[in-house]
Amino acid sequence: MAGRELYDMHASRVYSLAYRLSGDAEKAREFTQDAFIRAFSRLPQFRGDAAFSTWLHRIVVTVVSNARRSEIRFGREVALDEAHSIEVTAHQADPDLKECIARAVENLSEAYRTTLIMHDIEGYTHAEIAGILGVPEGTSKSRLSAARAQLREDLAAFKE
Amino acid sequence: MDENRFDEVIRDLPRDFNTPPEPPFDEMWGVIEDAHFNSPASAGRPAGMNSRAPWLAAAAALVIGVGIGRYVPLGKNARPDGTSAIAVASTQPLAPGADTSAIADAYRDQTSRYLGQAAALLISLPPQDVSGRGDAAFAEKAADLLVTTRLLMDSPAAQDPKLRSLLEDLELVLVQIARLRGERNKGDLDLIHQAVEQGDVLSRLNSAVVTNQSSE
Repeated sequence: MAGRELYDMHASRVYSLAYRLSGDAEKAREFTQDAFIRAFSRLPQFRGDAAFSTWLHRIVVTVVSNARRSEIRFGREVALDEAHSIEVTAHQADPDLKECIARAVENLSEAYRTTLIMHDIEGYTHAEIAGILGVPEGTSKSRLSAARAQLREDLAAFKE
Repeated sequence: MDENRFDEVIRDLPRDFNTPPEPPFDEMWGVIEDAHFNSPASAGRPAGMNSRAPWLAAAAALVIGVGIGRYVPLGKNARPDGTSAIAVASTQPLAPGADTSAIADAYRDQTSRYLGQAAALLISLPPQDVSGRGDAAFAEKAADLLVTTRLLMDSPAAQDPKLRSLLEDLELVLVQIARLRGERNKGDLDLIHQAVEQGDVLSRLNSAVVTNQSSE
């Protein structure tokens, strides 16, 4: 089935982005499912003026973003300690630092956070981010720069 | 934390921040399949991809996956006002010394976009035994594509015999889809699917997409 082929091609990256943005396996799964269901439903509206993957990722980001806004609005945001199950092994960073990083990323505005996660963590280019978020490339670059600056400031006090 | 340490933190973020577990691919697909492809409501949705012919689905996957997945965004010749480059190029005489390569690029961009849209529409077309919901959306989209089809047929793009033949077949199919308004004749969609299958339209669309991309 054509749908399964499409899914196999994009599911891994979509799930990974959904997980990075949500920090929760169950939510990432729901967001991924929701994004594909929406994409398939809207396929006739796909205008072909962007790559299919760009269009699909735009849906994922929108789905996650809407869910986060909803959680914040209704005060149901899961505490970071519960949301982020962090496995600590010998070669990984100090758990305190990881927790600080998680909090600092969480403190970023939605636009900064999404840009930082997409670029520095998931490896999207500024051109891809611009296409997905519907902003100029320059905006993506300035958001990343601002996100890193805020992160640096938040982590400045951290002592190892 | 000094500058170097911060750079390390940024570099290690993929490892240290929300590292994804192995996704439950099959379970997720099961939910997607149930919600979209197998539910009674899906029959009326304009995205029913449950094709009757397995080869059609395979061709569809190729068109969408290989073609649209790698399909470039509108190129440098995209017109900010949304006007079709084909419409402009085919109605205006070529000025002496005009940049013909730019015009050729515009045709390629427009053709790629058109082929992707046509493929998406044909793949999404539901089988015949469904309710009439969504017909208007299909018909409207087909009517839009029909205009582009005819403009392309009158353009230099149609000098390629294969593409011209494909455009002619697509024109017939799109005319039929554009008529899917209001009370649907039960046999209409069946005839459309037959036309698509007999004309090998989707696999030819696939070839055209690949050919068009390789010339970009």
